[in-house]
Amino acid sequence: MSRGNFFLAALLWSIIAFLVLYPLSILMLESFKIAGTDNFGIGNYLGFFQDTYYLKTFGNTLVLSTLVLLTTTLFGIPLSYILARYRQHGKTVFTALILLPIVLPAYAGVFAFIIFFGKYGTMNLLLMDAGLIEKPINFIYGLHGLVFIQSLHMLPFIVLSLSAGFTNIDPSFEEAAEVEGASGFWRFMTVTLPLCTPTYLAGAVIVFLWPFTDWLTPLILGQLDFLPSVAYINIAYHFTDMQRKYMGIVAVVVSSIVCITLFLLARWWVERKKYTGLSKGTTSEGRVIDPSTAVKVGSYAYMIFIAALVLLIPIVLGLSAFSRRWVFEPFPTYWTLDNFRVILMESPLLIKNSFLYSGIALLFGIVFGLPAAYLIVRTRVPGKDALDFVITLMLAFPGMAVGVSYLLAFWRGIPLAQYWIIMPLALFARRLPYFLRMAHSSYLQLDVSLEEASEVSGAGKLRTFTSISLPLLLKGILVGVVMFFIMAFQEISTAIFLYRGGWETLPIGIYLNWHRGMEFGIAAAMAFLMIVITFILLLIIARIGGGILKAAWQSGGK
Amino acid sequence: MAFIEIQNLFKQFKNVVAVNHIQLEVKEGEMLTLLGPSGCGKTTTLRCIAGLERPEGGDIVIDGKSMLAEGFVPPAKRGIGMVFQNYAVWPHMKVYKNIVYGLKLDKVPRQKIKERAKQILELVGLTGMEDRYPGQLSGGQQQRVALARALVRNPKVLLLDEPLSNLDAKLREKMRFEIKSLVRRMGITAVYVTHDQAEAMVISDRIAVMNSGNVEQIGKPEEIYERPANRFVADFIGTMNFIPGEVVRGVEGTHDIYVRTEFGEEMVCKTSDMAATTPGKKVFASIRPEDVAVFTEAPELGDNLFKGTIAHKAYLGNFLYFFVSLNGNMIRAQVPHHLPQEEGEELYVFLNPQKCMILF
Repeated sequence: MSRGNFFLAALLWSIIAFLVLYPLSILMLESFKIAGTDNFGIGNYLGFFQDTYYLKTFGNTLVLSTLVLLTTTLFGIPLSYILARYRQHGKTVFTALILLPIVLPAYAGVFAFIIFFGKYGTMNLLLMDAGLIEKPINFIYGLHGLVFIQSLHMLPFIVLSLSAGFTNIDPSFEEAAEVEGASGFWRFMTVTLPLCTPTYLAGAVIVFLWPFTDWLTPLILGQLDFLPSVAYINIAYHFTDMQRKYMGIVAVVVSSIVCITLFLLARWWVERKKYTGLSKGTTSEGRVIDPSTAVKVGSYAYMIFIAALVLLIPIVLGLSAFSRRWVFEPFPTYWTLDNFRVILMESPLLIKNSFLYSGIALLFGIVFGLPAAYLIVRTRVPGKDALDFVITLMLAFPGMAVGVSYLLAFWRGIPLAQYWIIMPLALFARRLPYFLRMAHSSYLQLDVSLEEASEVSGAGKLRTFTSISLPLLLKGILVGVVMFFIMAFQEISTAIFLYRGGWETLPIGIYLNWHRGMEFGIAAAMAFLMIVITFILLLIIARIGGGILKAAWQSGGK
Repeated sequence: MAFIEIQNLFKQFKNVVAVNHIQLEVKEGEMLTLLGPSGCGKTTTLRCIAGLERPEGGDIVIDGKSMLAEGFVPPAKRGIGMVFQNYAVWPHMKVYKNIVYGLKLDKVPRQKIKERAKQILELVGLTGMEDRYPGQLSGGQQQRVALARALVRNPKVLLLDEPLSNLDAKLREKMRFEIKSLVRRMGITAVYVTHDQAEAMVISDRIAVMNSGNVEQIGKPEEIYERPANRFVADFIGTMNFIPGEVVRGVEGTHDIYVRTEFGEEMVCKTSDMAATTPGKKVFASIRPEDVAVFTEAPELGDNLFKGTIAHKAYLGNFLYFFVSLNGNMIRAQVPHHLPQEEGEELYVFLNPQKCMILF
């Protein structure tokens, strides 16, 4: 056991303790506080679970989660099967399009769909102009709209995990069923699908937890009776009403507990039942099928349908960004660059802040993530598994929980929240696992003997790391860097609780401009700008190597 | 009476020919092994028989019924059972469910399924394991589950694709005999694929040696070993010394051929094809290491006695292995008894003319 490793572990642990454990325990503690006193008790929780309104929001969220999971699964199974098994042209393009929502901020989708599917949105206006309907159809305001928007946003997770299953299960499992006389559908139901359940579950849990995390989509759609939205409203708007404030905090804690519990349960179950990669080498090329023409046409139509829905987001936002006064018209008629002029003239600060905070957060991420990955993969320092565990848990924590806990922890005791550095720190804590998972998985692929050879040749640990490991890990690390940056750049759930005048980031600007009403064009232009920036970053990732990205998504679960 | 007939079978993947118009017959109740190096087309041939691959040409006839020429017959309708290389025992189903999967699809009555499962479990020695998941079984037990599943529907043909390659050496040896006696007892026709020549020798009634999509030779194990049809077969099955040389003359009325070897001396060999060995033809005088005798002093033996130098000597427990250099041509000799000579010393080598064969 080298002392250096020990010291490193202690250092990383103290960072985690300060930036993760401390604020989260303050949040926990605060939820037990009896309003107006310095005493603690379970009164808040009793109040929460005895109040029919909060119970209803909890139930609503569960219903929403179930519906979103059902929808994504129903649409995801054929989609994943097509992508994983059929030999088709343009597969890469369709895969990219269908996975796109992962990197698009959820609020971008909401805006786009409001413009397109809203009461007097493009769709309704077109239908009315065509005389097909008299009165506008309510496409999105309500539970069905929430299910639709959240499902589209989460579909990639189901597709990623299921198609990984379809690709990786040993072909001979299905061949054996074929020899035994199982027809296509029966074989799929009794062998293929059950064997994919572990990989499916890894994605499904992420999907199921999304409604416990996403406060903004329901809020924008005017559907407030869901746990995260209620929590947000209570904490952000009613902080003077102690009762509501504490109910909000309890709601945050309850959501977090649901998320963590289900996440851990799913992980445990997936680890226990891992069917893929169970057997050794196979002889055939895998089960890539040449579908019949009818099936081919059908699957193309299906992929195009989903891809078109996804593409609506950047297209509609783009139309909106380059126009003004797009009201009661199916398509904009007045084209202008005004929106961008406003952004650049009045609020270049937002863009600057976004880059600055995400950049600093990224720097923290690298400085923390590389040693942490090294420690977790390559050493046997006590507590390193716990470190990995805590960091991985951050994947499941709702962003709001991080934001609220930072607000509570760094306001009075340690008054960090009065300085702008709180913004990058919070982003760092929130997106911590993204870089680490990437570094972690590429580290695992690096053969340890390459490093040992360097040490045998006389190089020290640090020199081995800089001259051997780092260059070999570079590809994976770069992908992690870009991914982390994208995720930090879009982050709103944490930042919304912490920003002060002058600290606004682009996502906050989007939210505020939408909130102000009338400035929809500017909000759309900002969202469009964000998508463009994301696209550029994604192109960089694709250049570096998308394969690693995909592998890390799967190993990390998100 | 051929039970399986493979007629002019042709299969290619993209532009690579996997099976090149092969012709093969499997007799009823026989265990035929397809043996060859990886990529020789043996597994593809087996998968064509199973119906898991669709060949581009030729036909496969099982028990008088065409599988291809009169429309493609799917795997389930071919009356086959198959054991996969990695067992392909479904990990999410218990042993019992694995085994009765096909019976249920055949709509066999429940009581019958139970009886049949019990029988087959007893046959493969898995009684009492019904309620285990495959993950709780050893490799050998999973192998038995795969075997039970393949046999439970009373198939006409059993196909085995390198079934023992994932087992450790000791167990592999044991399972060879078990599979052989099981298949014998059931009187089932079986096609077995392996790249392990020792396994093929033990298990097969006949062996078809394959190389790059072609069948090089078909015959009983001893035929293949003692009378290999060509250099490839001789080299792939066991070890063979190949001495390059040129035909000098044949002896009228016998199978004897005189060959001038690369190391400069003449030697006598047997040939199976007198007509093909015309004087001046380049051939290989071939002999197995165990047919080479070595002597410290020159014995009175006449032909094929040469003097050489020991290049390497290896002690292998039950025998000694010599690499003897005859003017630079290395001859391997397997000697059962101990010899005091060390590396660098001289030795007489006798290449028994009765065992020396001509290969091209």
